[in-house]
Amino acid sequence: MGILFSKMFSSVFGNKEARILVLGLDNAGKTTILYRLQMGEVVSTIPTIGFNVETVQYNNIKFQVWDLGGQTSIRPYWRCYFPNTQAIIYVVDSSDVDRLVIAKDEFHAILEEEELRGAIVLIFANKQDLPGALDDAAVTEALELHKIKNRQWAIFKTSAIKGEGLFEGLDWLSNTLKSGGG
Amino acid sequence: MPCFSKFSLPSGFFVDFGIFFGYDEIIAAIHVISVSIVWRMEMPISHKNSEGKTYKNDCVLIVPNTIIFHDCPISDWLFGFLGLVPCLHDLLHSDEQSCSSCKEEQKFSGSLPCPDDLLHSNKQSDSSGRDRHKSTGSAPCLDDLLHSGRRSCRGSRDPQKSSGPQKRLEQLLSQSGNKICADCGSPDPKWVSISFGVFICIKCSGVHRSLGVHLTKVLSIKLDEWTDEQVNTLIDLGGNTAANKKYEAFIPDDYQKPKSDASIEERSDFIRRKYEQKQFSNCDGHMSCPFPGPRSTLSSSCSSHCSPQDKKQYEKQATRHRIGNAFRNSWGRKDTEYKNNKKSNSLAAMVEFVGLIKVNVVKGTNLAVRDVLTSDPYVVLTLGQQSVRTRVIKNNLNPIWNESLMLSIPEQIPPLKVLVYDKDKFTTDDFMGEAEIDIQPLVSAAKAYENSTITESMQLGKWIAGQDNTLVKDGIISLADGKVKQEISLKLKNVERGVLEIELECVPLTQ
Repeated sequence: MGILFSKMFSSVFGNKEARILVLGLDNAGKTTILYRLQMGEVVSTIPTIGFNVETVQYNNIKFQVWDLGGQTSIRPYWRCYFPNTQAIIYVVDSSDVDRLVIAKDEFHAILEEEELRGAIVLIFANKQDLPGALDDAAVTEALELHKIKNRQWAIFKTSAIKGEGLFEGLDWLSNTLKSGGG
Repeated sequence: MPCFSKFSLPSGFFVDFGIFFGYDEIIAAIHVISVSIVWRMEMPISHKNSEGKTYKNDCVLIVPNTIIFHDCPISDWLFGFLGLVPCLHDLLHSDEQSCSSCKEEQKFSGSLPCPDDLLHSNKQSDSSGRDRHKSTGSAPCLDDLLHSGRRSCRGSRDPQKSSGPQKRLEQLLSQSGNKICADCGSPDPKWVSISFGVFICIKCSGVHRSLGVHLTKVLSIKLDEWTDEQVNTLIDLGGNTAANKKYEAFIPDDYQKPKSDASIEERSDFIRRKYEQKQFSNCDGHMSCPFPGPRSTLSSSCSSHCSPQDKKQYEKQATRHRIGNAFRNSWGRKDTEYKNNKKSNSLAAMVEFVGLIKVNVVKGTNLAVRDVLTSDPYVVLTLGQQSVRTRVIKNNLNPIWNESLMLSIPEQIPPLKVLVYDKDKFTTDDFMGEAEIDIQPLVSAAKAYENSTITESMQLGKWIAGQDNTLVKDGIISLADGKVKQEISLKLKNVERGVLEIELECVPLTQ
């Protein structure tokens, strides 16, 4: 009976579901973020050849989170996952200053995709725990986020290892999705 | 270009040979009409070329009626070669030439005949030896089948490979020291730390990545694009032998380096000591202190030998490890003391994927009724731990989803489970049948044809409808536009009625 009520409750008050893609260059921390969100733990990872998909329940939203491999030759496969996506989490290794230009180019290429026109974008300036990591303002500049038009976006400083910033980002995501964005 | 020739078998069977070459792998397919017996075989197939070199096909696939040979290391896909051997044997002996490697083969298999000469008939001189094949083992020698076609098909794509950073990288990889992981000794490393110039396995690469790019930058040999500059850096650093000479110069005799089956913790501990703290390096200050073992805590006896400076360093390191262990508490997932079921999920982040499978859920026909007169069906696909689902189509017993879903294929390929449910708003969804699909034949076919340049459509194999499955018709694996696909139409199990049509496409991702 209890189950029945909770089912009725959730169907009436909208237990929203959202499809989220986690994208970014290889070794940005995508898989670590996914499992940190899902299990609340730091797991050891190996490079993702393919993708991981997990469901994360947060703020009454069921996020289906897709963590796609970031190696150069896997990136073209990202587009297979674009349809029906409400939000993109774009993860940047803030300490990998040399590759920020590549990260920027990939990022803006994603934004031009027709199928992602309606998706909101959350940027994680990750690996803040490492020496030499740029802060959110510097990453904003490096990724040229001011060029984003007609789209809701936000950037958060995160450390997946320490668990900092991730849920703040997810709060923004769920609030924005609930208010009709994406 | 495939080269085909047809042989008539004494027993009245026909054999088609299709031989062609991919990017850098030899691929051959034998299409055997009327042979549908399938056995499983745990044996690599090797073959000799005209110069007497033995090559090994690590991977042989025989789906009913079709065999595909290629040399990728997936030895569990050895299906039913035995089913074909008698035919080839007959064929061989009807072709009367002596088979050079039959004796060796006896040693190996006891009874397998050698279909070697079957190809001598149309063979020309063999092209260059393929160094990366290990010349191990001796078994039925089907090689000439491959070689006969090589002369005509090889080389078209070679020029692309013969220069450029990727080629130089592969040359570097062929140096003896680079054939095993610099850190754990696993064979065939496919990743590189460009900062230290070492070739490493995927697991050690995971640890290197976790140290941060300020210390070690990791690239994949196959999945990343290399610049000449990066390859030059790597050449300058000298590869595994040179790097280990430097970073393991003062490794204590009793120190156990991690092995290929080492846990992540062991790897992590060693890699941090080796590269981050440079404890075994040939540099000043570190040599005097005997080194504590990987798991040992700082014993007073050790620290008493150490200079104060060293001591301080060890203490710092111990703290680091404590913190490390605290936050990496999920790392020891292999440990048996793990009780929490949820934590075993952390395995997920350590699964190695060999490719992607696109599943197009086409339609359902005559599905079971679960509501009053009809159902609200949707399909759930499960592959290992992953699960995806289609949308719900309301009030329809013949739903057309035409929905494409994608799953990653783990190295240990589980069957693809297909479950159909009826969506209910207020109660648990009702079961409407299930099916299980073995995707191994498709994956191996896709791997075999991954780099092929064949443009014409061809049939690669099929899953035959029979008593042991619920196929409505044969599930044909075909190659079209360079894509390896399989169409499957099956009756759902554990339900009164319903047929589901799906299309599979496999996209291999070779590391």
